[in-house]
Amino acid sequence: MSRRRALDALAAIAMGAALALCLAPFLAVVASTVARGAEAIARVGLPSFLTSRPPAPGEGWGGIGPALAGTVVLTTLTTLIGLPVALATAILAVEFPRSIVARAVRALTKAMMEVPTVLVSMVVYTLVVVPMGTASALAGAIALAMVMTPYAATYIEMHLESVPPKYREAGFAIGMSRAGVALRVCAGIASRGIAVGIAMGIARALGETAPLLFTAGGSHYAYPTSILQPVDSLTLLIYDFATSPYPNLVQVAWGAALVLVATYLAMFAAIRVLVKEVRV
Amino acid sequence: MARDRLFFLSLLPLASLTVAAFLAIAALFVYESLPAFLHEGVELIAGTRWSPSTSPSEAFYGLLPAIVGTAVTSCLALAIAVPLSLGAALFVNEYLPHRLRGAVSTLIDAAAGMPTVVYGLWGLYVLAPLMQSVVAEPLHRYLGFVPLFSCRPVSGYSLLTAGVLLAIMITPYTFAAIYEAYRSLPTSVREAAYSIGATRAQVCSILLPAIRPAILSAALLGLGRAASETVAVTMVVGNAPTLTSCLLSPGVTITSLIATQFGEASLYPYMTSALYAAGLVLLAIGLGLSTYGLVALSRWRRWVASYV
Repeated sequence: MSRRRALDALAAIAMGAALALCLAPFLAVVASTVARGAEAIARVGLPSFLTSRPPAPGEGWGGIGPALAGTVVLTTLTTLIGLPVALATAILAVEFPRSIVARAVRALTKAMMEVPTVLVSMVVYTLVVVPMGTASALAGAIALAMVMTPYAATYIEMHLESVPPKYREAGFAIGMSRAGVALRVCAGIASRGIAVGIAMGIARALGETAPLLFTAGGSHYAYPTSILQPVDSLTLLIYDFATSPYPNLVQVAWGAALVLVATYLAMFAAIRVLVKEVRV
Repeated sequence: MARDRLFFLSLLPLASLTVAAFLAIAALFVYESLPAFLHEGVELIAGTRWSPSTSPSEAFYGLLPAIVGTAVTSCLALAIAVPLSLGAALFVNEYLPHRLRGAVSTLIDAAAGMPTVVYGLWGLYVLAPLMQSVVAEPLHRYLGFVPLFSCRPVSGYSLLTAGVLLAIMITPYTFAAIYEAYRSLPTSVREAAYSIGATRAQVCSILLPAIRPAILSAALLGLGRAASETVAVTMVVGNAPTLTSCLLSPGVTITSLIATQFGEASLYPYMTSALYAAGLVLLAIGLGLSTYGLVALSRWRRWVASYV
């Protein structure tokens, strides 16, 4: 073997090791979560784990019912708030690209994506929670919407922009207005892409913790009653229980993490399949 | 046309919400942090003591430990993540069979979007004990004379563990950026190199200078992401608001300071304001780094496009 070949093999080994080190932690995280989470879920059975209240600190076993219900409420509200904004932002940026407003919207949407999420939580605390006098599902959803909207908007914009100009021109040629072309022609052609953008936004909202730290503020033991009352979320429960000194709560945190990871991976896989079909 | 104008105006209220949200954030952080700047002066940024008190004259809100903590953990994360993701990206592009490439990059994309609190949970119960026994204790034993490793590692919760966990969390992002940049290089250069008999490693080293600007911008974006990560860092950094030169001791970062203190801050005068000042520092750093990173990246993309 020549010196050149030996060097090549050495480089391959080093780079292969780097790839292994990049992949290993993620696989380890998933493996730990599945192993420890399954144990916590098996103790009470899956249906009961998903619906019952968590155990008291230090004794017994239980589930994540209130937190799961809270996550469903928060994600739904976030989508209701964020989706119209994301769609309007994307359509404005694509249809009126030269206007000053559209340029400002485009630039600041990019900037919003880089704002640390914990700062969004502080802002919503000061502007929403303090005037309302209480943390609430609404405040939590506003914070989540501020985080997820820029992503969804950017992605939807990208797909609307990729609609071939000939369809747009055909629309104008038969006398459609710009609104008609944007909403009936372009949105129709890009509908899969838009669906993917929405799904990515939801997947993101589902897994966020920091925006909820000072805004949702619910008890881990109480089911949500109103959108103006505090709610819990899966991520907040994991954060609190993981850092508690009680082994049984830590176990419940692992179980909740397994539910969260499974939901995330399922959504990720669904998005991948959709994206593949969009490209074809 | 009148109806187009109407369409534009009907989109405007919703679309301008993003602009309003961003301006509200920027304005609020400046406005809310003013009282702390006026009360503490330079001590707010340069002070090393963080001790809240209900009487304003006895309260100290020095942000230096948090600022240094953020700098140390983020730079450590970057120092680990960039070489690893560079090696991995080159390996996937030059050595890995075509069929496996898609699978590997899908796996890394999945790692990028994974809920951060799950990384935190894993960091707390798997990574921290491992770091303690496998890395921190040997480092202290054999390299204890180096100031960075001079303190006795008490628990696995330290600036070092936080840096390693951050590295794990930003690697998927830096990998994706470098991988895409490398793939976008014109194939003619690679083919030319192979045609004169270059080995794969030599091709990598020939192409490396061409993606250097992309690596820099990937690093800047990764740095911004590491600095703004909150819950996972809070769970493993140990949350001790003291200034230390030792990586093995617990520390604090800007985000973990906010996460642990903001909830009770309204009980103390000036504390909310001090935490807003901390947030303002983070906002400025984060926006500055990522804006520069994005500008550098788009400039580089234009350069590649002009080359093809």
